Amino acid sequence: MIDFHTIFEQYKEIISIAVYGTAVFLIIIGLYAVLLKKHLVKIVIGLSIMDAGIHLLFVAVGYISGGTAPIFSPGNENAANTMVDPVPQALVLTAIVIGFAVTALALSLVIRLYKHHHTANIDQLKSLKW
Amino acid sequence: MVITPVHYIVVPLLAAFAIPLLTKIYKDAARLIPGIVLFYNIIVSFNLLKYVNEHGIISETIAGWQAPWGINLVITPFTGFLASMVSVLGFIIWLYGYRFKRTLKGGLVKYYEILQMMMIAGSIGVIITGDLFNMFVFIEIVGISAYSLTAFYRGRDGAEASFKYLLIGSFASTFLLLGILIIYTQTGTLNMAQIAERMHEVPQHMKIIALIFFLISLGIEAEMFPLNGWAPDAYSQAPSPTSATFAAVVSIAGVYALIRVLFTLFDVPVNNYLMIMGFVTMLVAEIAAISQKDLKRMLAYSSIGQVGLVLIAFGIGSKLAVFGALFLMLNHAVIKSLLFMTGSYFIYNTDNKKLKSLNGIHKRLPLVSFFFSLGALAIVGFPPFAGFWSKFYILIAAGDARHVYLIVGVLGVTIIELTYYLRIVGRIYFAKEEEEPASHKPSINAIIAMSALALFILVIGVYPDLIMQPLNQAADALLNKTHYINQILSLN
Repeated sequence: MIDFHTIFEQYKEIISIAVYGTAVFLIIIGLYAVLLKKHLVKIVIGLSIMDAGIHLLFVAVGYISGGTAPIFSPGNENAANTMVDPVPQALVLTAIVIGFAVTALALSLVIRLYKHHHTANIDQLKSLKW
Repeated sequence: MVITPVHYIVVPLLAAFAIPLLTKIYKDAARLIPGIVLFYNIIVSFNLLKYVNEHGIISETIAGWQAPWGINLVITPFTGFLASMVSVLGFIIWLYGYRFKRTLKGGLVKYYEILQMMMIAGSIGVIITGDLFNMFVFIEIVGISAYSLTAFYRGRDGAEASFKYLLIGSFASTFLLLGILIIYTQTGTLNMAQIAERMHEVPQHMKIIALIFFLISLGIEAEMFPLNGWAPDAYSQAPSPTSATFAAVVSIAGVYALIRVLFTLFDVPVNNYLMIMGFVTMLVAEIAAISQKDLKRMLAYSSIGQVGLVLIAFGIGSKLAVFGALFLMLNHAVIKSLLFMTGSYFIYNTDNKKLKSLNGIHKRLPLVSFFFSLGALAIVGFPPFAGFWSKFYILIAAGDARHVYLIVGVLGVTIIELTYYLRIVGRIYFAKEEEEPASHKPSINAIIAMSALALFILVIGVYPDLIMQPLNQAADALLNKTHYINQILSLN
């Protein structure tokens, strides 16, 4: 039986850096896909990845190492000091729903664009210019 | 019945989602209900504005959680003024579009009205909320309904404009979230009054990083250069009442969000940045407008130009300048709606949106042409109309602050503006007419809506004193930051 808790305690710093690093890395991947990819669906995927990175960043900010769930329960009334911050989690829930709606709308627009142009390459959509 | 700020948001949202049900019972419900709800919003906003101007700031807590912890809705003379303006214009735009929407097939009216109401309710939400994350949620509500409305007509251009808008809008929301995250980690709160109170403890570099994120994201919403590429496409592809709503409601909410964050939250001086970016926005937009061949795109660029001037005025930052900026926001909302309304009748009566087809159209649509010319002269700032006063106050404020180059610049850009508006008015009245009878006369409700706006332009142009007092109080409320903080944090 591996004792995860002691392992976690040992590598606490590395893990927190890894979480932040992953979040920033995801945001950068998303930005890369949105800015440089030509395929419409890939761009939408990039947006989702960027969102995911930000959500991770939010949760990581509210996290205390070894923290408990932010719920007051009988026998656990004085847990406020060891709880993780509940506010970022609530924000992330909202942000996930919004991101979901935006992704769904974006994909439906992609379908409509594909029907009209018979291509999903963003360079070939240029009926609107300055 | 007690009227509270929450009515603003709850009633339109409830009605919007009840529309599909109610259309099953009564066929015209989809078209009638928004009018009733928006009229109710006008009543709410005037009551609240009157109360606020007499008794001071209202802060309503939502769901029983007190202000720094829960979400609160704040009505100050400033937000109350903007919310009233948005409500009134929302109602007038509904009135204008009442008959227009009969041309939509079958069930489409329903979706149109739902989205339109969400957009107006969301904009009011942006204006009256006192919580930073809540503001993000409302901006997203406005955004998602605006993307859908841009793609409302099933042509390919609508989808393309909408996709562009969605991409840029998603960028904005991503950066806004990052900005909010930084503010939250530094101050430990999302309540705007409390953030403002704690802002001076935040280290300078964190402040700057957060400020950059906010400037990018809210600059996109407020159509600030160079982040406004979405605006001309979205304005020109959306249905006409929606274009008017973009100009009169959505851009106002965007500018409000930017100004609230810069003026109340941050104590970093950004005046020079706002003035420079405002001027560049204005210059680029007006130069782009002059080369447009499509009427709605031209009006869209002109809108961006007006927003640029608003930003300049906020950048000057004195009491008089903020007063002028608010006056200009009001004028822009009213006059640009009038221009989009009349412009869409021109487009409706010609085969395409091109400026060329406007030649001699005044014989076919005399009343609409008259209203358009009135709006064109008013927005450029000819003396007997409302647009003159706002520009006049902004220029006086620029002179007081010794920004002589700004006066020169703004007047120079005004000449560009004058050129392209007079070019169209000239086309309408003096160019040779193509033989073609008018196929779509304006309907009676559209005439009422346009006359109301035209009347406002004339009356305010002659008696600007009528709205001096609310504008003055709004400017005071925006600039008096400590009063805002103390009121919010002590009221609850």
